Amino acid sequence: MTLVAANVDEAARRQIEALNTRYIRAIDDDQLEAWPDLFVEKCVYKIVTRENFDRGFSLPLMECASRGMLVDRVTGYRRVNVYEPQRYTHMLSGLVIERIDATRLSCKQNYLVVRTMVGGEMMIFSAGVYLDKLVLGADGAKFEERIVVQESRRVDTLLVIPL
Amino acid sequence: MRNEKPLIDWPKEGPTRAPYRVMNDPAVYALEQERIFRGPTWHYLCLDVEIPEPGDYRTSFIGETPIIVVRDESGQINAMVNRCAHKGALLCIEPCGKRKQFACVYHAWTYDLKGNLTSVAFQRGLAGAGGMPADFDLRQHGLERIRVENFCGMVFGTFSKEVEDVEAYLGPDMAAHVRRIFNRPVEVIGYYHQMLPNNWKLYMENSRDPYHATILHAFYATFKLNRLSMLGGVALGHNGWHNLLYSAASRDIQKDNYEGKGLRSVIEDVGLADSSFLTRLQEFDDGITVAIQSIYPTCNTQQIYNTLAIRQTVPLGLEKSELHWTCFGYKDDDAELRQMRNLQANLIGPAGYVSMEDGSVGGYVQRGIAGADASEAAVMEMGGRDIKPAPGVRATETALRGFWQAYRDLMGF
Repeated sequence: MTLVAANVDEAARRQIEALNTRYIRAIDDDQLEAWPDLFVEKCVYKIVTRENFDRGFSLPLMECASRGMLVDRVTGYRRVNVYEPQRYTHMLSGLVIERIDATRLSCKQNYLVVRTMVGGEMMIFSAGVYLDKLVLGADGAKFEERIVVQESRRVDTLLVIPL
Repeated sequence: MRNEKPLIDWPKEGPTRAPYRVMNDPAVYALEQERIFRGPTWHYLCLDVEIPEPGDYRTSFIGETPIIVVRDESGQINAMVNRCAHKGALLCIEPCGKRKQFACVYHAWTYDLKGNLTSVAFQRGLAGAGGMPADFDLRQHGLERIRVENFCGMVFGTFSKEVEDVEAYLGPDMAAHVRRIFNRPVEVIGYYHQMLPNNWKLYMENSRDPYHATILHAFYATFKLNRLSMLGGVALGHNGWHNLLYSAASRDIQKDNYEGKGLRSVIEDVGLADSSFLTRLQEFDDGITVAIQSIYPTCNTQQIYNTLAIRQTVPLGLEKSELHWTCFGYKDDDAELRQMRNLQANLIGPAGYVSMEDGSVGGYVQRGIAGADASEAAVMEMGGRDIKPAPGVRATETALRGFWQAYRDLMGF
């Protein structure tokens, strides 16, 4: 179910849904190189826990303050960091869309990520909300900001693939 | 004990060996709770700035045992086992909060901020019937108090009546390093909590091991941030129970373009698309850029550039533990420095470029040693076979040998 403000038209809604679909396809299909292109150059991507977010603590689990930092996270994942092979399966729900101005919108929705390890173990790795600011454009919407608020304060083992 | 034979036959090579069985024998795990966690050791509980006012509490752990740390009406910090003296229920369920007293939700047994039992619901029964026996003495049923000491803002607790005070326990070099980190008021900037798929000791070994740092943590070497050839070494405290691994980037040492209050900004061009998150300030006059301190058994202090943290490892059974990170800055940080600490946090924690691997490598060992027989053991002879400080040496396992010697002393192995 999607809740759309009256001043958000159908075309904008389609752009947002397409952006979110590209986002989960980039990550879940292990096409992470396509992930930074879903953001504008001067962007914010941040993962925080509910514990820190609600208490006003600034500490992020991951914080990228530019598209270049997103690219570096992809480099870390592909070439630098050491971890056991794993894949994510994203599920999204409860999208709310509101307009900020003529070209910019804010969105909120739930996400759930199931992590599957190379040995077969599956677990709910993370669940929470995406708090987005995005900008519409001729070639589709892009994220200016995606804040991932993970409900659990805990991370199991390590977090290498963005949520 | 019924068996006179020790649980573990330690190899004759001594602390250069650690039998795999200590990582997966339930009897060893149970004995650790008694001899290490309830033994003559101090345990980090929290920072005093987390409980600034009377009634502020925070929960913590000593080994598996749940602990409450609370500031009472007089401003004194008390700690007691987080376990109602009636049926054993947790008194404080939330990780932190503010209370005038602690009332158990189960049957409303109520305690003051020193842990004294002050009232028992229906102590005189109802309408003259039931109730506690007339000779029931509230004073005999308080919470289990533990010794507490606030050293430089780090609150430590112990079950031991015998152990020396914290400063003597740390020894002069380790105490000096705590003073270095806590040189002025700090402020918590957030927490991480990370499940580790391994026995608690595997993480304690990892944090004492400078040998793995530039090998496992490829980010350091790939981007030339930390190499074994850099200046650094290992300091020890309390005969090797505690240690400090330190290093200083040579580019930091050679540069002397100090700006402002002895601080200077270093921006690396290391081949990242955007390395601005590595922008840092030289905060300490000694030039040390990375300093990981281990305080026996389960506490680490951390300085990685401008990221400052305390790490507390809590055993959650034989093959599981939880790592609690408390990250902080200084109260007098300006907005720029605080944001620097936040962006550098990309290096640390469960998603840290240079620390994520530590979350998984213990699990590789835990799974690797399954089925090992009693004679099999880890080998730690890098840097020699003795336990002594190693200034200028980073390819050494001396601090691991210190850990295992302390372990053997306490466990009687």
